[in-house]
Amino acid sequence: MNELGLSYQGRIRKRTIILSFFFFLWFFIITLRLIQLQVIEHRRLRQAVISQSELKRSIIPERGAIYDRHGQILARSLPAPTVCLIPNEGDRPDELIARVERLRRILDLSEKDRQKIESRIRGGEKYIYIKRKAGWEEAERVAALNLKSIYVQQENRRFYPLGTLAAHVLGGVGMDGDGQSGVELQYNSRLEGVKGLSLIMRDANKRRYGWEILKAPQPGQNLILTLDETIQYIAERELEKAVREHEANWGTVIISHPASGEILAMATSPSYDPNDFPPSPIDLARNKGIQENFEPGSMFKIVTAAAAREAGVVGFNELFDCSEGKIRVAGWTISDHKKMGVLTFSEVIIQSSNVGTIKVGQRIGQERLFRTIQDFRFGRKTGLDLPGEESGIFHPLPSWSRTSIAAHSIGYEISVTAAQILQAMNIIANRGVLIPFRMTRPTLNAKDFSPDVPPSGTRVISEKTAVELTTRVFEGVVEEGTGQSARIEGFSAAGKTGTARKLDRDLGIYLASRHVASFVGFVPADRPVISMVVVLDEPKFSLQYGGQVAAPVFREIARRVLLYLRQAPQFSPDKGVVTAHFRNEDRP
Amino acid sequence: MVRKKLPKKEIAAAAGCIVLAVATLTFYVWHQAAVIQIGFQTSRLEEKKAALEEDIKKLETDKAVLLAPVRVDRIAREELGLLEPKPEQIIYEGIPPAKNHE
Repeated sequence: MNELGLSYQGRIRKRTIILSFFFFLWFFIITLRLIQLQVIEHRRLRQAVISQSELKRSIIPERGAIYDRHGQILARSLPAPTVCLIPNEGDRPDELIARVERLRRILDLSEKDRQKIESRIRGGEKYIYIKRKAGWEEAERVAALNLKSIYVQQENRRFYPLGTLAAHVLGGVGMDGDGQSGVELQYNSRLEGVKGLSLIMRDANKRRYGWEILKAPQPGQNLILTLDETIQYIAERELEKAVREHEANWGTVIISHPASGEILAMATSPSYDPNDFPPSPIDLARNKGIQENFEPGSMFKIVTAAAAREAGVVGFNELFDCSEGKIRVAGWTISDHKKMGVLTFSEVIIQSSNVGTIKVGQRIGQERLFRTIQDFRFGRKTGLDLPGEESGIFHPLPSWSRTSIAAHSIGYEISVTAAQILQAMNIIANRGVLIPFRMTRPTLNAKDFSPDVPPSGTRVISEKTAVELTTRVFEGVVEEGTGQSARIEGFSAAGKTGTARKLDRDLGIYLASRHVASFVGFVPADRPVISMVVVLDEPKFSLQYGGQVAAPVFREIARRVLLYLRQAPQFSPDKGVVTAHFRNEDRP
Repeated sequence: MVRKKLPKKEIAAAAGCIVLAVATLTFYVWHQAAVIQIGFQTSRLEEKKAALEEDIKKLETDKAVLLAPVRVDRIAREELGLLEPKPEQIIYEGIPPAKNHE
């Protein structure tokens, strides 16, 4: 016992208690502070840290791929390195410019690029692209230099493995991977996905020490087109050949499956490589099939013929005197390409007589003709899921002049797109029913052309009119009329040629030397597998008629496509087809 | 001042507590290290998987490039000297002899 009356053990216990108290108090305070920092103020402090670092970057998600109907890759995003500069605190602009200068040769930077980077460095920007979407070899050489503040990061680059194939349908993307035209633009929101957010972390001295993904990017959805890679290739090859051969300004081909409205090919020549989007000149990116209006000329007689039959104003064997070879309407003389004598209604269309068709048009009358043109959906977009589609030019009835019946009957005073004229021919092919066009499918299609969604159609003309026009008129155009060059051995085809003189807007006259040559048709005529429109703008040399220029393109494409689709001939062609078939016991 | 000797039992108990605490801490540290190690491994494998997936994509794209119709057509014509068959050279397998068109 000491003077305070405490024993040795008592003193020890007291000191232990005091020490323990302070220890627990200290621990308790730390715990409270931790709870305050980590739990209560977590969100605010995290935001404070994030805002202090000031380097949030969007992460561009992987863009969805685009496939053809059989799953062939048409467009896909692949990783590509991007070389960037993230200046640290204390980095002098001259030092940074010197580092960029060392990369110039490796990255093949132009003087303009260098000046741009320099001005951004001097402007104090915190994130500067040196070269976006560079090659992997370049990126490796940059990384090997291990330069301070220079980083190699990964982005996605859009790649079109088939080059120019289906360029006008696919369109192209900008540097940030956003759709600029074609289906890339039309379905941009679906393809692009949802952007993520990353944070570049920096210490108090603003030195980079970490990288954090704040929000993971969501990749875009894939897209399946109705296009068939092989049919597209056949169409492009033949079209390109024809445009070159005839020195046309441009040409377009659209092939569809009439029963489903699915577009199997859509080609424009000249074309461009979507890997180098935008093309130069930018006009090359115009999809002529839907973005170019032209006066259809005689192709439009399919509408006049349908209107005449629907109105019941002509019989197929009714005669029209076309022997003069010209007709005068309200002061204008319209002539045929040759004198044709007296023709039946069928022959008028088969031989594409302007005189005869105008006489038919006059019988139909202004209002009925106008209504039929409206019913065939001219002057309206087809609704094809591609951006920038033109509506064509179809004047309202009150503004029709005294020449309008004659002009409309033979495809003038009205402008259409190739897609609109194909849609009109599809109405005939589908026995009077309009099936809207489609460019995308929800699922892949391995074998046939069966639509995955039953197409909904609208009746435009009666089945009787459509069938009769096919068998008595449009098959005749190919068999014995202006479209004989479209004849495919072994198959019955139906179609209509068009040769439209082009209007010189300055002079206000139609020029005899400049034409739009075209052909629209389907094959086989009784149960169409494909329908197609071919348009060539201003073919040169002596061949300028649709039957001479566009119909052979139709024939060549259709022949190859039918072979590719394993369509057996409907009848023995003139030269004779050898057919072989397995006996049941021999069948493998 | 004479210090009182602590009882052996208490020393043993204290030592036991210390050993237990050290063992627990050691186990905790080991556990944390193992978790981190597995985390690293998982991350490495995930990176490898992502890289392989990218490789598959690149290979699929390379395949598409190699099978591009324009390339196949060029090789068939120019390198292999193939020609398109004439209509009369085409044999339609499995199709009954065709009827004449009327």
